[in-house]
Amino acid sequence: MSAEPALLSLTAVVQAIAQKRLSSREVTESCLERIAKWQPRLNAFMAIETDAALAAADTADAQLSKGNHQGALHGVPLAHKDMYYDKGHVVTCGSKIRRDFVATTTSTALQRLKDAGTVRLGSLQMVEFAYGPTGHNVHHGAVHNPFAIDHITGGSSSGSGSAVAARLTFAALGSDTGGSIRMPAHFCGVTGLKTTWGRISRAGAMPLSQSLDTVGPLARTAEDCALLLGLIAGADPLDPTAMAGPVPDYAAAMRQSIKGLRIGVPTAFYVDDLDPEVAKILDETVAVLKREGATIVAVELPDQRQLTAACQLVLAVEAAAYHKRWLIERPGDYGPQVLMRLQNGLAIPGVSYLEAMRWRGPALAAFNAAVAGVDAVIAPVAPVPAPTIAESDVGNSLGAEAVIQRLTRFTRPINYLGLPSLAIPAGFTRDGLPVGMQLIGRSFDEAMLVRIGAAFQRVTDFHDRVPEFK
Amino acid sequence: MTKPTPKEIKAMADVAGVPVNAEEATRIANSIGPAFEGFAAVAGTLPFDLEPASFLLVQTAGVSS
Repeated sequence: MSAEPALLSLTAVVQAIAQKRLSSREVTESCLERIAKWQPRLNAFMAIETDAALAAADTADAQLSKGNHQGALHGVPLAHKDMYYDKGHVVTCGSKIRRDFVATTTSTALQRLKDAGTVRLGSLQMVEFAYGPTGHNVHHGAVHNPFAIDHITGGSSSGSGSAVAARLTFAALGSDTGGSIRMPAHFCGVTGLKTTWGRISRAGAMPLSQSLDTVGPLARTAEDCALLLGLIAGADPLDPTAMAGPVPDYAAAMRQSIKGLRIGVPTAFYVDDLDPEVAKILDETVAVLKREGATIVAVELPDQRQLTAACQLVLAVEAAAYHKRWLIERPGDYGPQVLMRLQNGLAIPGVSYLEAMRWRGPALAAFNAAVAGVDAVIAPVAPVPAPTIAESDVGNSLGAEAVIQRLTRFTRPINYLGLPSLAIPAGFTRDGLPVGMQLIGRSFDEAMLVRIGAAFQRVTDFHDRVPEFK
Repeated sequence: MTKPTPKEIKAMADVAGVPVNAEEATRIANSIGPAFEGFAAVAGTLPFDLEPASFLLVQTAGVSS
């Protein structure tokens, strides 16, 4: 047993509690000790609920001692991006506008985790209204990268990436509308699953863009992501867009070898203008997959720049529509960059928006045809490792959108197509910055992604590296 | 598809009920320009009968579970 329970994976701590090798209190105390130590440096938590968490842990232990095992995550302390409504709790959405908003409902994804027996540690920082890829937040402060304190975490699930990487929580829900799970996973060296649009209910999760928003976990391993996905996926009467039908057995899929699978490597776009170290790590990742028995195939994808553009049109309009009332009544309560990006949506004609929505079907069909011969595609999450907080603090300057576009170049096309993508830690730069790769799959085939991700993590240790407290 | 000018953006924002000043309009034009340019090859080319919901049909085609 690890001397520090918080250093265990989610899967390992679940077993340790269930087998009474560790109590929920011991595990929760371990997380809280690390939170107390790291929070002043990282700013990863929005709220820390020490007393309530310990009380809930004691309740979980008491239940277990009576033979009452509540669910698959009995007694496991977790914290999530502060945009999942949790009845009776303040949910700020990373904003000033919702600084005092108390949720009157609980989001479906969160409720399913509660039903599985989790203990609430508090809530995690995020970019204001989840509208930004860097992790800056003018209201609540920037979140810091545990592997390099002066560098960004990526966003918008900034606290989720930072807290999971520093082992403050075993996993965290994030959300991904343009890359907001995969970017923090890449920059912070953790595993993040952007699910298929429709795989997980969005009920009770703060909306940004209903056509693009997806719920998903950040955790230490693909195995941990598979465990969480199996618990939160599936139909929901509160969200008619959530896919009906049985949820696949992700744990079983994950144990399979990747021998004989075909993995595509794009011939363009995702391999263009890469930082040399990112390019090298992509090559090394492909080599590992090949060594594990996968066949590597070059794939020629349709023009991904058009997908990025279409994604921007959809996102800008839908976000502006959600926020219109506050844009009229409280424009001064937004941060400058978020206000600018919300205003962008006002300038896109309805016809352009609907053209982007109408093209989605043919665009997905064309992508599917291009990858018909492979089981998944591998690509970098971003062309660069984490920039510093200072150099990416562009606010609402004229060049701000260019910085945002560069960071999200490889993630937005996948949101537009609604495809699943698993970001896995794949290496580190010479300066110690994590680099992630994304495995892109077919619609609703997350099982294939966790299978490949788990196979990669069985023979590599990037996901096991714990940032040092310097 | 032509990207809107700052002057047009100012008028559109006014119509939307969320007025922006000249500086903001310039910034918006700069921000959304690449999206219009990137989508230009698709805009105005889509077949008459194409429904937005075709995305759901493509997405769920071949999904057994």
